[in-house]
Amino acid sequence: MSVVNEFLFLDNDFKNSGVAQADWSTKKMVWIPSEREGFQSASIKEETGNEVVVELDNGKKVTVSKDEIQKMNPPKYNKVEDMAALTCLNEASVLHNIRERYFSGLIYTYSGLFCVVVNPYKLLPIYSEKITEMYKGKKRHEVPPHIYAVTDNAYRNMLQEREDQSILCTGESGAGKTENTKKVIQYLAVVASSHKGKRHHYSLTGELEKQLLQANPILEAFGNAKTIKNDNSSRFGKFIQINFDNTGYIVGANIETYLLETSWCIRQAKIERSFHIFYYMVTGAKDKMRDELLLEDFSNYRFLVAGHVQVQNQQDDEMFEETLEAMEVLGFNEEERIGMLKVCSTVLQLGNIEFKAEKNQEQASMPDNTAAQKVCHLQGINVTDFTKAILTPRFKVGGELVQKAQTKEQADFAIEALAKAMYDRLFRWILACVNKALDKTKRQGASFLGILDIAGFEIFEDNSFEQLCINYTNEKLQQLFNHTMFILEQEEYKKEGIEWNFIDFGLDLQPCIELIERPNNPPGILALLDEECWFPKATDVSFVEKLTNTHSSHCKFSKPKNLKEKAFFTVQHYAGKVDYNATSWLTKNMDPLNDNVTALLSNSSSAFVQDIWKDVDRVVGLETMAKMAKSDSAAPTASKSKKGMFRTVGQLYKESLGKLMTTLHNTQPNFVRCIIPNHEKRAGKIDAHLVLEQLRCNGVLEGIRICRQGFPNRIVFHEFRQRYEILAARAIPKGFMDGKQASTLMIKHLDSDPNLYRIGLSKIFFRTGVLAQLEEERDLKLTDIIIAFQAQARGFLSRKAFSKKQKQLTAMKVIQKNCAVYLTLKNWQWWRLFTKVKPLLQVTRQDEEMNQKEEELHKAKEIAQKSEAELKEITQKHNQVVEERNQLQAKLQEEAELYAESEEVRIRLEAKKQELEEVLHEIEARLEEEEERSQVFQQEKANLQQQLKVE
Amino acid sequence: MAPKKVEPKKPEPKKPEPKKEEAPAPAPVPETPKEPELDLKSVPLEFTADQIEEFRDAFTLFDETPTGEMKIRYAQCGDVMRALGHNPTNADVLTVLGKPKAEDMNTKYLDFETFLPMLQHVSRTKDQGTFEDFVEGLRVFDKEGNGTVMGAELRHVLATLGEKMTEDEVDRLMAGQEDANGCINYTSFIKHILSG
Repeated sequence: MSVVNEFLFLDNDFKNSGVAQADWSTKKMVWIPSEREGFQSASIKEETGNEVVVELDNGKKVTVSKDEIQKMNPPKYNKVEDMAALTCLNEASVLHNIRERYFSGLIYTYSGLFCVVVNPYKLLPIYSEKITEMYKGKKRHEVPPHIYAVTDNAYRNMLQEREDQSILCTGESGAGKTENTKKVIQYLAVVASSHKGKRHHYSLTGELEKQLLQANPILEAFGNAKTIKNDNSSRFGKFIQINFDNTGYIVGANIETYLLETSWCIRQAKIERSFHIFYYMVTGAKDKMRDELLLEDFSNYRFLVAGHVQVQNQQDDEMFEETLEAMEVLGFNEEERIGMLKVCSTVLQLGNIEFKAEKNQEQASMPDNTAAQKVCHLQGINVTDFTKAILTPRFKVGGELVQKAQTKEQADFAIEALAKAMYDRLFRWILACVNKALDKTKRQGASFLGILDIAGFEIFEDNSFEQLCINYTNEKLQQLFNHTMFILEQEEYKKEGIEWNFIDFGLDLQPCIELIERPNNPPGILALLDEECWFPKATDVSFVEKLTNTHSSHCKFSKPKNLKEKAFFTVQHYAGKVDYNATSWLTKNMDPLNDNVTALLSNSSSAFVQDIWKDVDRVVGLETMAKMAKSDSAAPTASKSKKGMFRTVGQLYKESLGKLMTTLHNTQPNFVRCIIPNHEKRAGKIDAHLVLEQLRCNGVLEGIRICRQGFPNRIVFHEFRQRYEILAARAIPKGFMDGKQASTLMIKHLDSDPNLYRIGLSKIFFRTGVLAQLEEERDLKLTDIIIAFQAQARGFLSRKAFSKKQKQLTAMKVIQKNCAVYLTLKNWQWWRLFTKVKPLLQVTRQDEEMNQKEEELHKAKEIAQKSEAELKEITQKHNQVVEERNQLQAKLQEEAELYAESEEVRIRLEAKKQELEEVLHEIEARLEEEEERSQVFQQEKANLQQQLKVE
Repeated sequence: MAPKKVEPKKPEPKKPEPKKEEAPAPAPVPETPKEPELDLKSVPLEFTADQIEEFRDAFTLFDETPTGEMKIRYAQCGDVMRALGHNPTNADVLTVLGKPKAEDMNTKYLDFETFLPMLQHVSRTKDQGTFEDFVEGLRVFDKEGNGTVMGAELRHVLATLGEKMTEDEVDRLMAGQEDANGCINYTSFIKHILSG
């Protein structure tokens, strides 16, 4: 346990270290910016105007501007578990705290509502059963920061307040989002199953956890790719919803995914890869399967731009086997598995279809249809129909079908769109299957706990449409956070009876969100993009021009200054300015799939392909799973009217995000921020600038900014008094005084500006930095007192030593005197006689001594006898009492047996009740169905009657 | 019990006799408050002849010179003053010594005539801190709020904060003060120190 504690608990011994304390107050320690470490500590030597001379740790003196300096927190705050408690809230202190904790193996830290976690890049023994036990049912402040604490709080809140919960994990790829998401599930599986300490509930939880874990490799194979930064980067966001019944048992789970970047399957940068499954399949599929899938070499596929890029420590063929095994476990049958792989092979093959522009004609042709033949073979469709559908599709114009020849560009585009759409549908189909497997019970959960695992804010060198979308998402999530924080803050102030106009910081983000999503008056970026898509002659540049014209005065919008490129524009996000490159946004936004092809596919000779393309009339794009699931059950005939309806990627994006946000808004959110410490995947190393950048992007610093507007430091009266009474000792009269009164007197005595503090009902609130000042004053005062006390103590010691010295002196004089006397006596005859005679005097006294001893013996004997008698009596009594006890015990035994019996009866009755309840449920469901049916009939009847009437 | 008053009378005089006895050498603390250089010549002596006789006896007791020159090392100056009932801080002692360098503390000597005005100066300075102040100060370390502090913590404080005391000094100071749990009732501890 002690080994484990190291990774959770702070070593408290030196929190109050006098040395550090003295250092801090006497040296005036501050933080100054540093190239290498982000910030380094220094002590102020001299202040002149706006410049400050500081001394670094290595003794070097440097002059810096006053603005660059950030205050250091008193050592009391070292490695603090919740950074909101820091009195000097600034970037340097936050970084320092996270770094110090990380170096001590403490990867979790709170920052107000956030739980910040830094990827340790090694296994820590903090997820064991024991630790799980330790966190069970504990309040957040009672245990060290941990993802378990966050989860447990969410779980308890769900049970107690009947409010759905969500845990939002965001961060860069490689920061540990998915890992922490898994921990959440792991914890819930344990806690939610041992809820009542009974095992005879289904062993569903363990199974569910297994299945969730098995779902993961499949989702990763199809949804992850190797990027420049991360070998296994999720190219989609996911929301795992775990459903619980009234008693807190897990009854099922559902995964929704967001924003799968299907563009990865058609192009990648040089050292990047497409989705893993392509590489697994091309490497791993052997013999018969390879033939069946019509696979070729890597170099033959145009869509795998860079050929077979390897991933370190990963064998693609082994991964292929693992993926297939996972599929098997989740219930995909042989036919389905081959079908899935066929779709993948088709996507690759689509890339190999080449078109040529006919001479003198706009029309495209396909000189070599080998690739097309393969595609059609794999998908079970007719190759002539397919070629027609691509080259000369039929469109509906004014109610009539018209054939229209396509240019080479249009044909190329159609193929790419088809590839993306096909992959997207495959992914959603897989997910639907996984969800079917995870949703074991038909019973409706009473409440749920959702875990969102989605990419954080992105600022790249080249930021495209995808970045706009993910940043837009993060703006929304940050708004949710700000709003939540605002609500909570307001509650706290209200609870403490403090008047304070708190600003809803959610509104801070509104301008930027509006800039992106506003539908009109003036239209936002997405709306304008949609608008441009309708103009045949529009280009990316004309889009940016339009954007600039519309929003030139918008506070969050600007044109980059030094860029000559016309397709660039800049958005001021909360996390920083991002230059977007609008090149090919129009294409990215459209992704239209012509009906001709989809109709072909939905009539494929392969049942699997049919299944995938079943809902032909739905618009292809980034729709949510929920929708797909619904459309499964809805009558496919009902959506005929929507034919030809065309929605843009941006619209779909906005919609799916809107749905996600609605879900999240109806939950109580818990925020987890994952941080990647370095890009080398090394344990124990912190790249300060990288971490600072992430803190800026993930809203931790933003949260702190908001905190600073209010009174972020709160101390309960008792603590305030204990720590700072020394500063105002005279202000408080002797005897009892309640905390609030005492604190009020103290703060008055301290002469603080009334704007710097507020006194609540149980706590005293301070503006940022005030405590640091108090802390400093306290240190100085304390040092003074200690010095005075040390002076007293030294006086005490000296006087003691002195009096000892004096006593020794006296003793010595006595000895000297005696020596002198002895010397004179030594030769005196009488003395000599006396010394000779003295021993003889002893003899006469012997008899006397003997008598005395005998008397003593007598007395001792008497006492012994008495004690013996007493002992006997007590033993007897003891035996009596023991007998009585035995009788009582027997009685107890009987009672217990009786109790056990009736308990058994109770359990049996309960089981029966449960059964009956389930039957009742079923009957109720049937009743509902019947009622529905009756309603339908009624409707029909009404219709018929009406018809009758009409007739 | 009230803190010891600053009357330079307490120690009982003893016959002068040079003794080999180790006097604790206070660790020199270089930090000094900014104040004008002290001119000891301007300090008028207000001691009675009896008192001076007492001081001389004590002074003699500290004299470690082999031939009994009636001189003490700089480092002993504070001890003599303290033995005579005063409680100067190390900084106070260094001030009256004219802020000598650390290495001079054990090599330079001063005689009784030089010492007297120093003592006079120190005797006029009031003791810093009252019993209540000290209780306040130590209460800070009273984590449980039950009137006790951890002995280890108090040792740590005295040895690392302010004018740091040596481990040996702290050991002697705390001898027999800790209870079975290693805790110290600081109120009685302070009383004990102030009464000695």
